[in-house]
Amino acid sequence: MKKILVPFCLFLATLAYSQDDLLKSLDSTQTEESYSTATFKALQLVTLQTTKMPAKKEFYFVVSHRFGSVKDGFDSFFGLDNATTKLGGIYGITDWLSASLSRHTLNKMYEIGLKYRMARQNDSFPLDIVGYSVADINTFLEKDQYPGLESKHRMTYVQQVLISRKVSEKFSLELVPSFIHKNLYNPDIERDNQFSFGGGGRYKITKRLSVNLEYMHNFDKPDFYKNPLSVGLDIETGGHVFQLIFTNSQSMSESGYLTNASGDWGKGDFFFGFNLYRVF
Amino acid sequence: MKKPYLIFLALLLIIAAHTQGTAQKLITKTGNIKFQASMPSYEEVAAESKSVSAVLDQTTGDFASLVLIKGFRFKVALMEEHFNENYMESEKFPKATFKGKVEDFDSSKITASPKNFTLKGDLTIHGKTKPVSVIVKISKVQNGVKAIGSFEVKPEDFAIEIPSLVRKKIADKIEIDYNFSLIK
Repeated sequence: MKKILVPFCLFLATLAYSQDDLLKSLDSTQTEESYSTATFKALQLVTLQTTKMPAKKEFYFVVSHRFGSVKDGFDSFFGLDNATTKLGGIYGITDWLSASLSRHTLNKMYEIGLKYRMARQNDSFPLDIVGYSVADINTFLEKDQYPGLESKHRMTYVQQVLISRKVSEKFSLELVPSFIHKNLYNPDIERDNQFSFGGGGRYKITKRLSVNLEYMHNFDKPDFYKNPLSVGLDIETGGHVFQLIFTNSQSMSESGYLTNASGDWGKGDFFFGFNLYRVF
Repeated sequence: MKKPYLIFLALLLIIAAHTQGTAQKLITKTGNIKFQASMPSYEEVAAESKSVSAVLDQTTGDFASLVLIKGFRFKVALMEEHFNENYMESEKFPKATFKGKVEDFDSSKITASPKNFTLKGDLTIHGKTKPVSVIVKISKVQNGVKAIGSFEVKPEDFAIEIPSLVRKKIADKIEIDYNFSLIK
């Protein structure tokens, strides 16, 4: 009897374990979608674009302000009297392609952009790679001032490759090589073709708050302008993302930001602003 | 010589019982789970996964199910992102599981018309495990059984934080509907 007891107990033991076995047998049947998501909270890091894409048929409405220089103090209430505005929309044509249109107060600029994803970070590939192509149309230029003005002179083009990695749940990094071409430029202080390289990162403080920092180095920059350095705070509230910003560039257009930053952090000459995104 | 022979026989018995058990397992990889956390007059908070796996052992009534959190699809892509990123933390806790037993399960009593059974076991969501007992309707289909039912869970039972700002827009009790066609 004793002899049969041992195998019998073993038999019972296998029965007891069978629930666990059932669950384990399911483990292998599921393959996980391994793409990294939510590398950044918003479509912009501070002023630079992020690798985040709108989903198909998603529409983002964006309002951004950059106020005047904080340096002016109470004269302009730390710049709040001299707001510049960007109003725009971004539409997801497919999950990997979006188109944007915006209007900037500064230089009465219209900006048309295309953003397209080329690679996604997953278990076998370490990076998100997104292309961003922008054309700026400057409608501030008047024929009265520039008699030789042709419509092509209003155009400025920017081509960027956005390369990002979600390093950890909280920390993401982005690198951005940029090429800028200006049809109209002042040869005394700048060049028509400029190359700029830099990037930034975000660190999540809580689930819905993150601190962002970005810097771009322009290799063809004249002394007259500065390299843009910006810091921001993302606040996410469901359908909205609110970004509070301090930057040394008042311009929000891609070309203006990369080539014409005029503020100097060292002299307290910087700008307060925000980006507000609403998703529909 | 007698002793090893007996043990060998017993081992054979175990293996036989085990393989028989395997043959009695009904499985699905395309089970369906929907959940609904909407509040009236606010944006719909609901999602569905069509790739839930589940297994039922016909001889014992043992039941297990597994769903990947990232497999839930919402109507609004941003809601899906926030669900994964802020609420379920799906990179930390990629799956939700259930492991339990259909009480008094007897496959010979299953007919084409649904019959109520009690399904008891441990539900694990967001890394937290809680014992649950729910009613499951089981009916016979070709080559297997169909199990459907619904139950409610509270996010706080699974340490899923809902910030006060959106508290009004998300139901206190989340209704979960499941539908599995388990076949051989």
